[in-house]
Amino acid sequence: MTMEENGNSTARHPPAIEIRGLTKDYPLPGGRQRVRAVDGLSLRVEPGQVYGLLGPNGSGKSTTLKALLGLLRPTLGECFLAGVPSSDPATHRAIGYLPEAPYFPRFLSGRELLRFHAKLSGLPRDGREARIETLLARVGLRPAADRRVGTYSKGMLQRIGLAQALVADPAILILDEPTAGVDPVGADDIAALILEQKACGKTVLLCSHLLTQIEDICDRVAILHRGRLLAEGPLDELLGRSARQALVVENLPEGELAAFRQWLGARGGTLHGVERAPARLDRFFLKTLAQAEQGETATPAGVGDSTP
Amino acid sequence: MNAASRDPLRFSFRRVGVLAEHAFREAVRQRVFQFTTLLAALLVAGSLGLRELDFGGAELRFVADFGHGALVLFGSVLTIVTTVQLLGGELESRTVLPVLARPVRRSEFICGKFLGVWAVVLVFCAVVTVLLLGALWLRVQSLPPPLPDAPRAQAVVAPYAGVLVVGALQAVKFGLLAAIVLLVGSYSQSTLFAQASSFLVLGICHLQYLARDAWQTGHGWLERLGGGLIGLVFPNFQLFGGEYLIAGSGGPEPLLVARVAFYGLAYTTMFLALAVWSFRRREI
Repeated sequence: MTMEENGNSTARHPPAIEIRGLTKDYPLPGGRQRVRAVDGLSLRVEPGQVYGLLGPNGSGKSTTLKALLGLLRPTLGECFLAGVPSSDPATHRAIGYLPEAPYFPRFLSGRELLRFHAKLSGLPRDGREARIETLLARVGLRPAADRRVGTYSKGMLQRIGLAQALVADPAILILDEPTAGVDPVGADDIAALILEQKACGKTVLLCSHLLTQIEDICDRVAILHRGRLLAEGPLDELLGRSARQALVVENLPEGELAAFRQWLGARGGTLHGVERAPARLDRFFLKTLAQAEQGETATPAGVGDSTP
Repeated sequence: MNAASRDPLRFSFRRVGVLAEHAFREAVRQRVFQFTTLLAALLVAGSLGLRELDFGGAELRFVADFGHGALVLFGSVLTIVTTVQLLGGELESRTVLPVLARPVRRSEFICGKFLGVWAVVLVFCAVVTVLLLGALWLRVQSLPPPLPDAPRAQAVVAPYAGVLVVGALQAVKFGLLAAIVLLVGSYSQSTLFAQASSFLVLGICHLQYLARDAWQTGHGWLERLGGGLIGLVFPNFQLFGGEYLIAGSGGPEPLLVARVAFYGLAYTTMFLALAVWSFRRREI
């Protein structure tokens, strides 16, 4: 869905998520003093968007998400899900939530955990097991589905947490650090999963410290610091790159560069700089692993390859 | 969000059932359930080992009292530890977050936890009571038969009905205790505090006759008022004990048993309502 389409849908539908003037104070021990975790935050997330909430530790991201889920009472302000105050638990029918560093009951197996959440969300018996199996396969946990969650690694916990969030096929996904503790392969898979949800028209609000990942998958971002909104908008706008293009050229002789610059200038373009195309370690890592799985050998020459 | 999502979320017994099943499964897989049940069973079985004391009918009463002691002690520990684990432990470990992010009312959450704990306690009481009945039956078989010319009053009668009634009333009492612990856990910030407070309340409920004495025979108005308040707020757990219920030769008095059960259920409802009220106000 493009931004223009999102704009059209806004006219017909309320925003998927709306936060108006959210302020949250926590009392300090003793009760006389209070610390302000979120200060007058306002946000709108349109249906179908992937929205990133960025900020250092203690910037108020998790408090914002908890207020959005009705787990905290705002000191001031309101939160809405599809136009309905989020303090109403009925709005939770549309939500899938993955908490930060998810802990799940250790005594349940992965399959039992998904079954519990599916039942709680009222998924009809017909199709419930099929949905669980599909999700287990999608997050790569089918071989470990009958193991107790207490034996799962951090990455496996994140993946079962993501499956748990998706089990009722929610319209809105709220993901708090979905890739924390996940290896690069898992993080890449989770990013792909989020983009799949976006392609299905789902709205995703996520917090993450992995800026590269946010950049790859988010339509809009908000940056919080000490509870205040520092910047907000579409990534292209914030990074000022909407009018810029990158060309990756191989084997262009040094002497031809001036001619190329001239050629561009004649067509109204400007060459802002020439630098070696950076090889991203994460891409190389993923490519090397993929090759190893196919029985091929990665060579250092692959480092310089431009990868999508 | 579709139109259905805008419908108000009404209290659902189905969701309470799902939460109760989940709580029950968690509790029975915890070591505390297995450990307390095993210890209580060993204690009941151990009462059979006291064979040197051949008191006839009095010995059977001794075996029954010994079994009830195991039921009361380990049942109380099981109820408090399990309830604190299921509520306070879940709040501390934050496993509650994805559950409350579901379309679940907080009242359903508390009721589900309560029913799950109560189901665990019912299983515990049933296991210990059945073992106790078995122990009594075995002891009756090993006692020498009464002399042919012995008066009827001296015949050995095992208190089977009394054991059953006390087992059932203890289950009601543990349900009430679980509701009190849920109330404590709904506002406490740590499982340690919740457990310590719950054991303190358990002590107050067992010594509640002291407060009633202070209410009725206290010297100053403050003593009488304090005793009266404690006597009113805290239930009297001694009412659920076996002595006066099974003392009569005719077995338990049905009307008395029904009144005690009603007393327990009424207090349970009150504490559960308070727990729901407190938990709804809590920030997670």
